[in-house]
Amino acid sequence: MASAAPPLAVPKVEEAAVQQPNNEVVSPADALYDRCGERSQGTVFFQRDLSNMQVAGTMAELTMLLQELCDRHLMKLMTLEGEPCWKLRSRSDADKLRRLTPDERLLYHHIDQAQTEGIWSKALRARTNVTQQVLTKCLKSLESKELVQSVMSVKFPNRKMYLLKHLQPSEDIAGGPWQSEGDFDAALIEAVSGAIAQYVENETCIKVPGNWNDYEQHDRTAVIAQKKAQVQGLRDIEEAPAVKPYLSMGDPTASKVVHKNSPQYPTAASVANWLNSKGILRGKSCREDDMEQLLEMMVLDGRLEKISGTSYRTVLTAVDTKVYNGFVDAPCGNCPVFDLCGDEGEISARTCVYFGQWLETQSEEI
Amino acid sequence: MSYNQRETPILAELCTFLVEDVYGELAARVYSILARHGRQTLAAVARASYLNGRQIKYGLVILLQQHLIFHSGGEPPVTYYEIDWQNSYAVVRFGKVAKLVEDRFGRKAANVMSNLLTLGHTRIADLKEAYFPPDTESDDDSDDGVVNGAGLKRKRAYEAHVNGKATKLNGVVNGVPAELDDVKPDPQSLANGDHATNGTSKAAKANGTAHATVIEEVEDNDEIASVDELYDIIRLLVERGWVRTVSDTQYLSPGDMHDMLQQRAIEEELGGAAMTGTKDKEKVHRKTQQLKRQIRDEWLIPPKFSRKRGDDGSNKRVKINGANYASAHKASSPEDELVVRVNPEKVSVAMRTEQLVQLVEQRLGPVTAYIYQTMLRMLEAHTPRCYEDFPEPPLATGEVVAEITMDPRFLVNARDIAKRLPRDFDVLEGLDPNAVTAVTRKGHVHRSNILSTAIDPSNLSMDEKTQLVDKHIRLLAEDPLHFATWHSRAGFSQWHIEFEEIAKQLIQSEVENTISARKGSLGVKLIRALRKKGKLDERATCNAMMMSAADIRGIVNDLTVQGFVQTQEIPKVERREAKHSLHLVWYDRQRAREKLLHDTYKGMVRIVQRIAFEREKAQPLLSKAERSDVVGNEAKWLSKSELDALQKWKEVQEKLLLQLFREDDLVATLRDFHGPLVSV
Repeated sequence: MASAAPPLAVPKVEEAAVQQPNNEVVSPADALYDRCGERSQGTVFFQRDLSNMQVAGTMAELTMLLQELCDRHLMKLMTLEGEPCWKLRSRSDADKLRRLTPDERLLYHHIDQAQTEGIWSKALRARTNVTQQVLTKCLKSLESKELVQSVMSVKFPNRKMYLLKHLQPSEDIAGGPWQSEGDFDAALIEAVSGAIAQYVENETCIKVPGNWNDYEQHDRTAVIAQKKAQVQGLRDIEEAPAVKPYLSMGDPTASKVVHKNSPQYPTAASVANWLNSKGILRGKSCREDDMEQLLEMMVLDGRLEKISGTSYRTVLTAVDTKVYNGFVDAPCGNCPVFDLCGDEGEISARTCVYFGQWLETQSEEI
Repeated sequence: MSYNQRETPILAELCTFLVEDVYGELAARVYSILARHGRQTLAAVARASYLNGRQIKYGLVILLQQHLIFHSGGEPPVTYYEIDWQNSYAVVRFGKVAKLVEDRFGRKAANVMSNLLTLGHTRIADLKEAYFPPDTESDDDSDDGVVNGAGLKRKRAYEAHVNGKATKLNGVVNGVPAELDDVKPDPQSLANGDHATNGTSKAAKANGTAHATVIEEVEDNDEIASVDELYDIIRLLVERGWVRTVSDTQYLSPGDMHDMLQQRAIEEELGGAAMTGTKDKEKVHRKTQQLKRQIRDEWLIPPKFSRKRGDDGSNKRVKINGANYASAHKASSPEDELVVRVNPEKVSVAMRTEQLVQLVEQRLGPVTAYIYQTMLRMLEAHTPRCYEDFPEPPLATGEVVAEITMDPRFLVNARDIAKRLPRDFDVLEGLDPNAVTAVTRKGHVHRSNILSTAIDPSNLSMDEKTQLVDKHIRLLAEDPLHFATWHSRAGFSQWHIEFEEIAKQLIQSEVENTISARKGSLGVKLIRALRKKGKLDERATCNAMMMSAADIRGIVNDLTVQGFVQTQEIPKVERREAKHSLHLVWYDRQRAREKLLHDTYKGMVRIVQRIAFEREKAQPLLSKAERSDVVGNEAKWLSKSELDALQKWKEVQEKLLLQLFREDDLVATLRDFHGPLVSV
C-alpha cells in the first residue's frame, strides 16, 4: 500500500516538513497524526512510512511519538508478518476509548482482535479472566457507547458473538444472504426461490397450447382412444388417465408444459447473475456459493432437478393427480396405530375404524 | 441363505392366508406348519399337526405341484420340506401375470398362462388334454369350457379347477419324492369337503379383478381352436422365457442347492480336500456361484420343439370345422412329456416394465411413455431376470475385470421403435414444437407456440418418425433418472437401459412417496438431504435444508420413530453427556426399503383379513346368492335390499383387492427389481 505512493508522497512530505516548524500550536504527535490522516482511510503504516514523513527527527523520537499516540488511543499497534505497523483511529473513537475503564479497555482490545469473526462472550471471559458480573457490565456499557455490537452466531445458535460496531459480521457468524439474525429467513427464501423457479422454468420449459398441431382429425380422437383402450385392454382404475390426453387433445385452452428442445440449462452462476441484475435481494448481492446452496435446497424440495454437475431444470409432472403407492393409499399406510395393530384384539382389521370409513362399511364394535 | 429366501413372520402369515385362499384349508394347514416351524420332515410335520399322515401327504402334494415348497433330494433317507417364499408370495400375482401375458401375446396366451398358474407345473400332454379332452373321457363338460375361459362365470371356472379335475395332479409324479408316491391323485379326496369350494370361490375373487374384465367379453374367436395353435403358444411362451421346463433341481431349496454345489465346487477346485484358508474359500465361492448360475441358466434353455407334430397333416379348415378333437387325439408329439411351469423371474421383469412405463407417464406424459414401453418390451425378450442373484464375487486382488462389451441384444435403436409404432400414433405429442419443426422442416412456430403448418402424424416418413422418436428418447435420457443411456449411432441412435440404477431410483421414489403421504414434502426433503450428504448433525441438516432447527426436529423425530431415519450419538468426552456428544442423523436406503417392505406385507395381511371379515358379514346373503337356482336369476329371487347389499359387497371386495394388487406392485419394486443394497 505504502510502497505505491513514495514518488508522489515524498515531495509532499518535504513540503509539510517545511511548514511544520511554523505551526507551533500543534505538538509533534498531533502533527504525525494529521500527516497520517491525509492518507486514505484504513491505511496501515509501517515504521518506514512514518519516518519518511519526517515529523520525528530520530528513531527514538518517533518511537516516543508513537507511544504517545497509542496511549491516547489515536493509533493502534498491530503486526503484519512479524513487522509492527500502526493504524489510525478517529478522534471521536479515541475519545470514547480514553473514557473507558481498564476492564472495558481490556475487553475492547480482545474484541478488536477478533475482527469480523467476532468473539464469544465465554471465550472473552476465559481470555481476560474477569468475573462474570464485570464482563456483563462492561459489555453492556461498551454496547451503549456504540463501540461493539453483539450478533447471534449461525454456527452455534446459542452463542452471542461480539465484534466492533463498525464491522460487518463475517459470513461464518452471520450467514449468507439467506440468513438474518442468525436464522434462515424463511419468507425471503420462499420469495426468492419462487422467482428462481419461474426463471428456470422459462429457461428450460415451453408452454404448448392444446391446439398447437391442429391437423385434420376427422374423428381420429375417438378412434385413437378406442384403439388405445382396445390395445391396452381395460385398464385398472388407477391407470385410467392414460387415455385422457387423447381426449383433451385439440382443446386450445388446455395447454401443457414440456421440456424445451436443447435448452441452455441455467447454472448457479447464471442464476446468481440474473438475480443480482434484477435486484430482488435489495442491496445484498448473491454469490455463486450462496446461489448453489439455494438451488441445491430447491432440488431437495423437488422444485428443480439437477441435469448434470452444475445445471438445473424444472421438475415437470405430466399428471396432475398425485398418486402415492398402494400401501399409503390404503388406510394402513397412514394409520397412527399401525404398529399396535394385531391379528386379534382391540385393534385389528375387524375392528378398524379407518377401514370402516374407507369402505363405508361397519366395523366390529369392540 | 439367499436374500429372497429370508422369511419374516409377517410374510409367513401373509403367505398362509394366500395359500388358504387359493388352495384351500388342508394345504394351508400343512403350509402353516412349515411356515411356523421351518424346514421339517414328514414325520415332524405330522407331530406338529393334528392331521393324519394321509391328509398331510395330500396337502404336500398340492404344495409341491404349485412349487410352494421345496424338498431335499431323493437320495437321503429322510426328505425335508421347506417353504419357497418367493413362489408362495407369487400366488397374489396370478391375475397380474395373466394380464401381463395378454398385453404381450394376446388373450389366448393369457388363457394358457392362467391355466398353467392354476395347475402348477403341468405336462404339456395334460394341458392339451385339458383343452381338447379325448372323446373317451367322460369328464364333466366344464373342463373344456373352463380352460378355454369360455365360461362366462369365472368364479365357476375356478371352482371347477380345484374341485375335481383329473388332470390337476397328473403332472405331479415327476417331482414328488418317493414317500408321497402312495398318494393317488384322487379328485374326490382332494376336494376335501366343503372348504375347497369355499377356498376356490375366494381364489376366484383374489385373482378376479384383472380377469373379470377380460373374461366378461370373451368372444368366440379367442378360443384356442387347434392343438397346433396351443403348441405354438406354449412354444412362444417358452422361447420368450415366460414358461420354463421343470427339473428336479428346481425342487431343491437354496440351502440344499448351495450345499450340493459347494460340495461339487470343492471336488472340482480342490480335488475334494477340505477348505483351508481364505484363498481356497474364495476359489470355492467363485466356483459355487458359477455353478449356481449355470444350473439356473440351464432351466431356461428352451427345449427343441418339433415343427410338425405327428401325422397331423389336416389343414386348418378341417380343424376349424370340428375335426380338432380327433386330430388332437392322434397327435402325440415328442414334447408331450415335457413338464412346464411359469417362470416367476420373468414375471418380475414384466412388472418392472409396467412400473417404469407408469413412472415415465407421470413424469413425461403418455406418448413418451408409450415409446418407452415399446423399447422395454423389445428388450424384455432377452432379459431373463431383473438382477443377478449369484454375482461373480469381486476379485480380492483388486484386478479390474475386463470391460464387458455390451451385448447387442440389450440395445435398442430409434428406427426399430419407429417401425413398431402403430400407424396413427401421434408421435408429435409431448414434444417441443420447435423440435418438431426442426425435424419436419415444414412451416415455423408462432409466438404462441402453435405450428404454422399443422402436421398429420400419420403422413410422416419413416425417417422423420425415427428422428421424432429419438427426440422422445432424448427426453428419457435427460431425465435425472436416466431412463435410457446413449450407446451408439446405429439405427439413427442406439440406446441401452441401466436397469440397476433405475431400480434403485424406483426404490428411492417409493420410499419418498410413502414419506410424502405421511409427512408431506418436509419429510421428503429431509430424506433427500440426508441421502445426498450422508450423516449430518443438526446444524448441517439446517444448512442443507435452509430451515431453522426447530422446524426440523419434529420431523426427524417422527421419521426416526417410523424407522426411515437412523440416529446416532457419538460421545466426544469420556463421560457420555448429551451436551458433549455429537448427534447424527442419517438415512440408510436398505433399511428404509426393508422397513417399508415389511410394513407393506403387514398392510396386505390386514387387507386380506378385512376381506375375510367383510365376507363373513355378508355370508348369509352370499350363500343364498350362490345357490344354483339363484345364480343367473338374482333379480327374481333376491329382494331389493339383498341386491343392494350384494352390490355393496362386490364393490367393497373390489376396492380391497385392487388395493392388494397395488401393494403387490410396491412389493415388486422394493423386493424384486434389485438385489440387496449395500449400506452406506
